[in-house]
Order: sequence, then C-alpha cells, then structure tokens
Amino acid sequence: MGHKLNVNGDAVDIDVSGDTPLLWVLRDHLGLTGTKYGCGGGYCGACTVHVDGAATRSCQLPVSTLPGKAIRTIETLEDRHPALVKTWIDNNVAQCGYCQSGQLMSASALLDGNPKPTDADIDAAMTGNICRCGTYVRIRAAIRQAAGQTAAGGAG
Amino acid sequence: MMDTITNFSPLSSLSPECSRRRFLGVSGVLVLGASLPVQRALGQTAAPTTFAPNLWLAIDGDGTVRATVHRSEMGQGIRTALTQVIADELDADWSRVEVVQAQGDVKYGDQNTDGSRSITQNYDRLRAAGATARLMLRQAAAKHWGVAVDTVRAGNHEVVHAASGRRLGYGELASQAAMLPVPENAPLKKETEHRYIGKPVTHVDAGDIARGKGTFGADFSLPNMATAVVVRCPWLGGGVKSIANKPTDEPGLVAIETLDAAPSAGPVFAPLGGVGVVAEDTWTAMRVAQGLNIEWTGSPNQTFDSNELRHALRDAVAKPGTPVPGSEKGDVDAVFAAGGTELSATYETPFLSHAPMEPPVAVADVTEERCVVHAPLQDPQSARPMIAAQAGLTPDKVEVTPTLLGGAFGRKSKPDFALEAVELSKRVKRPVRVQWLREDDIRHDYLHASSAQHHRAVIDDEGKPTAWLQRSAFPSITTVFAAQAVQPAPWELEMGFSNLPYTVANQRMESAGIRPGARVGWLRSVCNIFHAFSANVFADEMASAVGRDPIEHRLSLIPASGKLKQPGQPAPPGHELDFARLRHVIERVRKLSDWDSPRPEGVGLGFAVHHSFRSYVATVLEASMANGRPRVSNAYVVLDCGTYVNPDTCVAQMEGAVVFGLSLSLYGDIALKEGAVVQSNFHDYPMLRIAEAPATKVELVPAQGRLPAGVGEPGVPPVAPALSNALFAATGTRHRTLPIRA
Ligand code: FES
Ligand code: FES
Repeated sequence: MGHKLNVNGDAVDIDVSGDTPLLWVLRDHLGLTGTKYGCGGGYCGACTVHVDGAATRSCQLPVSTLPGKAIRTIETLEDRHPALVKTWIDNNVAQCGYCQSGQLMSASALLDGNPKPTDADIDAAMTGNICRCGTYVRIRAAIRQAAGQTAAGGAG
Repeated sequence: MMDTITNFSPLSSLSPECSRRRFLGVSGVLVLGASLPVQRALGQTAAPTTFAPNLWLAIDGDGTVRATVHRSEMGQGIRTALTQVIADELDADWSRVEVVQAQGDVKYGDQNTDGSRSITQNYDRLRAAGATARLMLRQAAAKHWGVAVDTVRAGNHEVVHAASGRRLGYGELASQAAMLPVPENAPLKKETEHRYIGKPVTHVDAGDIARGKGTFGADFSLPNMATAVVVRCPWLGGGVKSIANKPTDEPGLVAIETLDAAPSAGPVFAPLGGVGVVAEDTWTAMRVAQGLNIEWTGSPNQTFDSNELRHALRDAVAKPGTPVPGSEKGDVDAVFAAGGTELSATYETPFLSHAPMEPPVAVADVTEERCVVHAPLQDPQSARPMIAAQAGLTPDKVEVTPTLLGGAFGRKSKPDFALEAVELSKRVKRPVRVQWLREDDIRHDYLHASSAQHHRAVIDDEGKPTAWLQRSAFPSITTVFAAQAVQPAPWELEMGFSNLPYTVANQRMESAGIRPGARVGWLRSVCNIFHAFSANVFADEMASAVGRDPIEHRLSLIPASGKLKQPGQPAPPGHELDFARLRHVIERVRKLSDWDSPRPEGVGLGFAVHHSFRSYVATVLEASMANGRPRVSNAYVVLDCGTYVNPDTCVAQMEGAVVFGLSLSLYGDIALKEGAVVQSNFHDYPMLRIAEAPATKVELVPAQGRLPAGVGEPGVPPVAPALSNALFAATGTRHRTLPIRA
C-alpha cells in the first residue's frame, strides 16, 4: 500500500489505501493543510493543486494514480508566482479565504499556460472555483494585474 | 497513523502565524486577562514588563502591541477592523501590532458575531481602550522626564517631548506605564487625526491566506487526534434504531458511536444525533460512514414536504393574518371598497442553505479535568456553557477558541457541530475533529425560511399608493427556540416589513407563521431577503403601472427629511431610519449607474433600495436574457453605513453581497421531501461562478461622524429585487418567485 509521490519537489512515501484521494493525503498525512476540502465531488475547486503543471481537483485523484507525477500545492506557490501572491494580498482579494488556495492554484496554472489572459480566458480558467464570499471581481483584477507584472518584471 | 500537523499547547490561544501574529503561551493569555490592580493584589513587586491597561491591548517591553479581537473572522475583515480602531487611538505603528484571537469569555461582553454589529457595538469602547493606553504612555514619559503631561504627545509608537526633542518608544515606556493607575475618560482623537480608522488597510490575514497558511477549523490539529464523520437521520427528530453492518476490522477505524437525537429539552443548538464514525484519518471515516446501513426511528417531521409548506404559506397570505401592532394607518378597506387602480401580487421564496465554503468542522479535546475546543464559531462565548454541559464540566474548565471561519453567514453561530466533537472526544478519550461533509452541510442546516408575501394597493395617477396592504408568512426562527412558537417575532418583521419607509395614508400589515418540519435559522440578512424582494418588486410594479421611472417614483414615496416612526420597538437613538440618507443613496446610485442613459434593446436596469442593520444600500443591476438564462452584466451599489473603519472592506462586502444575492436569486432552492432535504452538494445547490459575476462598482457615502452601522449583511437584500426589476425592464416579464430560473 506504499505510494511514492513527488510533492512540492520532495519524494514522499505514503502508506494508505490506493483509493485515498490526494486531498486527504496532503491534509491528513503530509500536514499540507493549505489545500482545502469544499465538496469532495469535483464541483468547487477548493482542493485545486497542480499535477504535472495542470490545475487539478485533488479530491478526485486516487493516490494510486499519482506515482511519477509532480504535485505542487499552495504552500510552494509563492516560489514560482511571487507576483500573483503579492497582487492577491495587495488587492485584499480574500474574504473568508477558504477558497483562495484553490483560486490561486487555478490562476497560476492559467498564467503558466497563458501569460496574457483576456477576461474571457480568466472566466474560463477559473470557472471551476466557487467563491461563496463572492470575490470574483477582485480575482479577475488580481490576475490581470499579475499578468501585467509577469510581462514587465519576469516574475512568476 | 495520522501525522500530527502541529504540536501547540492546547492551552495556547490560536492565531495564525504571520509577521504580525503569533501563538501566545499561557502567560501571554493571563497577562492579557489581568488588569493592574489584580497584578498588584497578587503581590507583584517587580515592575511588569508588559503594559496591559485593559482587556484589549498589551504592550511588551520590546514594543510589540498585542490587540485582542473578541469577534470571529468570517471574511468581513473584523480582525483587521477592530485592530485598526485600537491601534489608531493608541497611535501604534501598524507593523508592530499583533492580533490575538480571544477565547469565548463573558469578560469581553457580547461576542456574538451576528447581526452586522461588531463595529456598531465596539467602536467607542475600543477607541477608549486605545486612547486610555496612549494617555498612560504619555503620563509615563512625562513623569520620566519630569515635565507636564500636556507638553508631550504620542505619535507612531513613541512619545515625544517637542521642546527638548526627547523621545521614548512604547516598549521602553511599557513597564513604567504599567505602574500608573488607569485613568477614566481619556480624550479621544479628532476625526482628522485618525491614522487607520477610515483607511483601506490590508487585512491582517491576507498574507497567510494567500500562502495557504491561514488556520481554519479543519486545519487545527492536536497530537493523537482522530477524525470523525457523523451520519445523521435524514429527517429532523429521528434517531438510530439499528446499524445493520458495523465493520470491526477496518484498518484505521477507531470507533463507531451512536449519538442521541436532540433532546426536546436541553440546549437549543443540540446536535442532531446519528452515528459517529471515528477514524485515524478523514478518508477512512468518510468511507466507513458511507458504507453504514442505518435504520432510523420515525418522527412527525418525516412527512414534511416543502412544497406543501409553500402552498400553506401562499394560502396564509391570501387571507387576513395577525395585524402588526401599531402598523395600521387610515382605513385600507374603505379605499379598497371605493375602487380605483388596484394592484395585487404574491411573492414566494424558498428555503436556502448557508453553504459556507468551509463546511462545519470542530476539534475538541475532553478529559476529566478540562475541555478544549478550537472551531469556526461565530459566538464562542455562548457556546462555552453548552460545551461545558456536553462535556460534563463547569464552564471555567472549558476553553473555546475560534479559528478562522471559512465563511459562516449565520450557520456557525450554532455550535451543534462543536458539541458533536465534544461528545465524541469524551467517548473515545482522545482529541477528535468532527468534519461535516458538504452533503451533511446542505442536508442538515438551519435553513433560511421559505416565505410568501402578498401586496395589494390602490394607486393614484402618479403610481403613489393611497392604500397599501401587505402580508408576510414564513416559519419563524423562534420555532427552533420554543416548542410552541408559531408567529413571526417582531424583530423578524422589523427586517424590512413593518418598517416600510414609504408614505401611505392608508396602510395595514399582517403576518402569519407556520411551524416547519425543519430547523430554521438566520442567513446573511435574514428576513430582509424576502421582505426587500417583495416590497421593492411591488413598488416597481406600481411605477410601471403608470409608466413612471422607477427611481423617480420611489423618491416620490419617501419624505424629504425626518425619521421613520416604526411600529413597535423604536430604533436605538441615532439609528432611526433617516429619510434624507435613504434618498441620498438612491440619488447616488442613479448617477453611478448612469440610470438615465438608455441601454440597448433587451438590456434592462433594475433598481432596489433597502435599509437594514442600520445601513442604507441602493443597488442597480443591468441584466438581459442570454440563452434562456438571466445574465447580469453590471452591478452598481451605494452604501451608507455611517462611520466606517475600513472602506476597502466595506466595498468588498458589497461586491460579495452582489454575488451572494445573485446566487440566491438564480439558484438558491432547498426542497424537502418526506422530511429530508433533496439537495446535497454544489451540483444540485449551485453557486454563482466567476463567468456570471457582473462587473461591480461600489460607492461608499462619506458619513464619518455618524454612528457606525452594519456592513456584512445589508448589501444582500436589494440584489434579488433589483434583478427581478431589471429583467422586467429588459423583457417585460415579472418575476415574483425566487429563484428566477428563466
Ligand atoms: S473539494 Fe475538490 S472540487 Fe470541491
Ligand atoms: S473568500 Fe470565502 S469562499 Fe472565497
């Protein structure tokens, strides 16, 4: 039942049943609680992480499918996307904050693949992430702003 | 085995890590709670290095200021705003202020983070707390220098004697200030001297949250903690009859515990009972819980059907109800009998679930001597005696510390989920986290009540009502408090019903209640949601009946000045509904939305205004139909909340309220069949998503000097009626039932 994973660049060996979703491996077994549980059904995006660079719902990923893949979580996002994290803070995007790890992981995956997204690109990439507090207008603004900084300063 | 994530002492006061916050040890908490006379009474002879003149702040020898926040953070920015107030009057350097989250304790006074009143209730006392400390620091410095107090001034974390150029930092002054008697009536700053109040300060938790480091309920953990998932009876009042298949050899399973159903007497917010599956990790608990085959006992609520309730509510408003005492003006019946242009309409709204982004969750550690709870609670203080009773301990042995609340909207003022964790920890004799699944959250909420309103009016040529009869029927929140309660309470009717701000010569208001077979509770802005909906749409119907501009028409119904005399309990002084302020937000939103410029064919503007939680909000939405669904392109909101502490937070709350209001306008619909909630997760109880969120412009009325009013809730009520009115303007179709599906 051992599963060898690569999480945030670290090799880890996890002894759980193979159907355990990555979400609970991160939270319960690795202490990486930045990734949140919101629905367990793939509807809300609170659990979004990067798997080989793609924004992915960790509540839907059995751990047995993950060996050989590079998993990244919110805890190391700032290393690669300092501008994005900064604009999130500067714009006071978060209200309760519970959805924001997932929002940031989706936003960063968007910028990785599309450094100059239009509003339509943003809406399409972020549509899987619910924010019950309704911070959507600030999410759009922060992504646009971070995209500007990406072009100017090369950060991210 | 589950890895433990943190190993902080359970006695520590939880505050997420960040430069300005830290975990405080036992001594920090005690120092905070102690006033100087107590320290002296303890025979303390050495000068204390910490200066703690009151409950709200302490200054350490190194100059660190610890501000205590006794309200819960759920996204409304209260940890930041209350700290702004304290730090402002203290003249503290913001970068040297840490926030300490208070435990539930009567010494703080009311800690119920509900009703949008944290600033209203605490603005003056926290200013006084900061000002008292500032005066004492000046006194300490003056004494040290041998000069008069009025020759020294405080500024940015230091006291300065301008004449000699001498200065001493707050840290250097702490131990001397701590020896001084605490003065009364320390002078407050003038408004122009404010450095944080009224300024857009970045939230204290923004950095932690953007780095995934904020500590929400489920993120808190204790050594040797187990996680539990509880399976609850689908209908209210049922209990466990039998469990057909109790697994015993499941790896990681700790215990399967039968919990009693809520007793008919006992705590109001008692858990529902059910079967608690306790495991070493969440997934094991979820899997085992899902596999259980439980037979439940029956209850009278097992036949409850929300559709039948809706019929009953509709019937209730079709006939005379209980008159609101003091609401009757003139002779409504005589005007109706005389005839004229008569309008009547019935409005309906469904049950709603709060669905905070973070489902309920709580960590409890119960031993024979004490009980520690860390949970996202809106009112840790009132939860404390309930937790004590559940643990079988006295309240002094119980510590309740709020974590960050991942959204709440009223749900987390009920500590039933924390009581479950307490009970299970007591049973398995180790710390337990109870994790509600999203399905549990949607199915076992304290629902926002379904309702019906009936409006009937005779209008003149200008669309002004000469007679107005309004009726409202809904299951009262008081039904969860009292077994006999049926009728809506006066405070529920004062939420946008009995305090209608329009001039009508002949008027009557009637209400009716029905006991539901489900728990009802308060959801962000409560009864204002349906009362603002029906009144604002009906007013729009009056305007359109005579072809008048809705805003012109509405202004014609509101007196130019003066205060509303509402039936029943008068509003607290300074918080009466002020007609001029109501008109002002309307006039401003007219400008902000460019109301008078025509929109393209098929695009409509809708307007609504509402006074709630002592604030005034006017909202205009721009909407159309696209692919058979309503589409909102722009939202314009004007808020007058009196004195505000953090304008950016106020704007954010209005932005969020538009989204919250649109979610309930377009999707919110909880149905119950055979006592059970039909919906279960975001696929059948959807939320607005980013692509549907309108561009939003918010204007805040500068009203510093007026009493501070609520911000978290009052943005919600105008949204649904503004949408209905906008769709009417766009398409000519009236929507009188929520949600608006097409
Ligand atoms: S928790 Fe994974 S999508 Fe909601
Ligand atoms: S900030 Fe609360 S759910 Fe997004």
